[in-house]
Amino acid sequence: MALSLAGSKIRVLLMEAGGINFDPTIQKMYSGTETGTRYAPLDAGRLRQLGGGTNHWGGWCRPMDAIEFEARDWVPHSGWPFSRLTLEPYYSRAQALVEAGPWIYDLKGNADNAAEGTVLPLNGGGLYTSWFQFSKMRGDILPTQFGNRYRDDLKRAPNINSLLHANVTAIRLGANSKQVERLDVATLNSHGGAGKHFTVKPRMVVLACGGIENARLLLASNDVMKTGVGNQNDLVGRFFADNPIPRDIATVVSFSGPLAPFYGANQNLSDGTIMRATFAPTAKFCRAARIGSSLSTIETPVELDETGKAAVITTAIALGVDASNAKAYSLGCGMELMPDPDRRLTLSGDKDALGLPRLKLDMRIADDDFARFNRTMTELGRQLLASKAGMLRISCHTRDDWMTRMDWGHHHLGTTRMSADPKQGVVDGDLLVHGVGNLYIAGSGTFPSYSASNPTLNLVALTLRLGDHLKKVMA
Amino acid sequence: MKRRAIIAGVAAVGAAAAMGLYRFTDLFVKHYPPTPYDDLLLQLVDRQQASRLGARLAGAPDAGTLAAQLRAGLKPGELGAAAKADAAAGRVMEVDGWVLPKTVAFLSALASKV
Repeated sequence: MALSLAGSKIRVLLMEAGGINFDPTIQKMYSGTETGTRYAPLDAGRLRQLGGGTNHWGGWCRPMDAIEFEARDWVPHSGWPFSRLTLEPYYSRAQALVEAGPWIYDLKGNADNAAEGTVLPLNGGGLYTSWFQFSKMRGDILPTQFGNRYRDDLKRAPNINSLLHANVTAIRLGANSKQVERLDVATLNSHGGAGKHFTVKPRMVVLACGGIENARLLLASNDVMKTGVGNQNDLVGRFFADNPIPRDIATVVSFSGPLAPFYGANQNLSDGTIMRATFAPTAKFCRAARIGSSLSTIETPVELDETGKAAVITTAIALGVDASNAKAYSLGCGMELMPDPDRRLTLSGDKDALGLPRLKLDMRIADDDFARFNRTMTELGRQLLASKAGMLRISCHTRDDWMTRMDWGHHHLGTTRMSADPKQGVVDGDLLVHGVGNLYIAGSGTFPSYSASNPTLNLVALTLRLGDHLKKVMA
Repeated sequence: MKRRAIIAGVAAVGAAAAMGLYRFTDLFVKHYPPTPYDDLLLQLVDRQQASRLGARLAGAPDAGTLAAQLRAGLKPGELGAAAKADAAAGRVMEVDGWVLPKTVAFLSALASKV
């Protein structure tokens, strides 16, 4: 966010609650409680230090699909205030910042490495082979850690001042509640208690603390607006989402033998770009089958049990295919959850060392989210049969099946959702908090519906757009 | 009497040899007792594996119902075409989680019931 304003006439104060490196005392400021569906602790999956979550992200990049910006009548509360076209001009800059190499994704496909194994032809069905690219920092460090990578750029920018260990503890609105008047800021002392206090009087404020912490600050800043800043319609903290990334949710068999290496592992292209194949549903199939987005990725080779062997032998013979070299693999996925207002963050009675209320997460995942994904898997299985390339076994049929395989992407989404309608969103299409004239929010917490693509590339593009907007309104 | 006994003995030996040969060829081509569904089951190259798979079809109809449904769509010698047509038309079903062409699933289930 700050770098997008570097070199402009805007004087920027970047306040980072953490330091350069990880500090467990500082990290503890993030802890909270979780109820409902088993989920990661609130102090896991995010990092309170310069660069935030990029200090532990996996570097997976993929632009959101155009359909994911649309209001989909089978996805409640879906729809961005603009289409993907609005973000297009920012994707190339975002791609450069995450250092994922040239923009290739689905443009090039499997030209490299295809000869080294079987390529699964999906023959125009509901799913197609799509591509991830991977962030790679200078010196081949994988992936780009923003704090480490861009710290010097921040220092060099004459219009940016960076303050580390500066915890914003309250957003203070003016009496008319229409403007942020000041920010209360505090440091931690060497014992982890309250240190120095000071205030900042900003012209404009951008909250970029992550999808969880942004909501916490808004809710906790309730001296003027009793329900919290921007929460006049009880939306802040609601619609929390993440991308479930359960492992081993299906088995894929390739009749003709080992799959090309780009399915199961990251592949270096000759120009250094790192790519990996994934199975994605087409927009047409999403509409027809009324499913959410997903990205399914080959994991590791597996051995089939006796029923599995019987299934492969019987089906391959029936299709007239030689499966004597058949190879089986487990499949993992990243799923898009349906927006749910009751999956939410609220303030708890506990407070952190600086007196800020901690959060409580009520986590939910609907059986329908799983059912929609299994429709996607059935279609992939059908396509493999139709192309006589292989077959598929769906492993999860009960909630327990899913939850024993569950992991999470730690992509914190939805808590300050974007909508042109103040009754449907916390921020508008420019990321300005409805009703507050100088408070913006950056990050994936503003995504009103979520995609299955990893959010970083997309939220960076959205943030760059906000940077351009601020340059315009502050000129 | 003696001649009749010799003939009977030769016949018995012949029958035993034939039976042995029949069982010996089981190593190469599995033999099954005749069933009312052999017109369908003969399309399975490996009925044993199909039976193992078909036994896992949850809530499978009885053999007669399966056979009637199969006969309505499966012509002799055309299992491959039927399986491919099923996949193309979206007629797939799960057996123990495996997504199968409906014809393959039903034929396997039938094999498991005889």
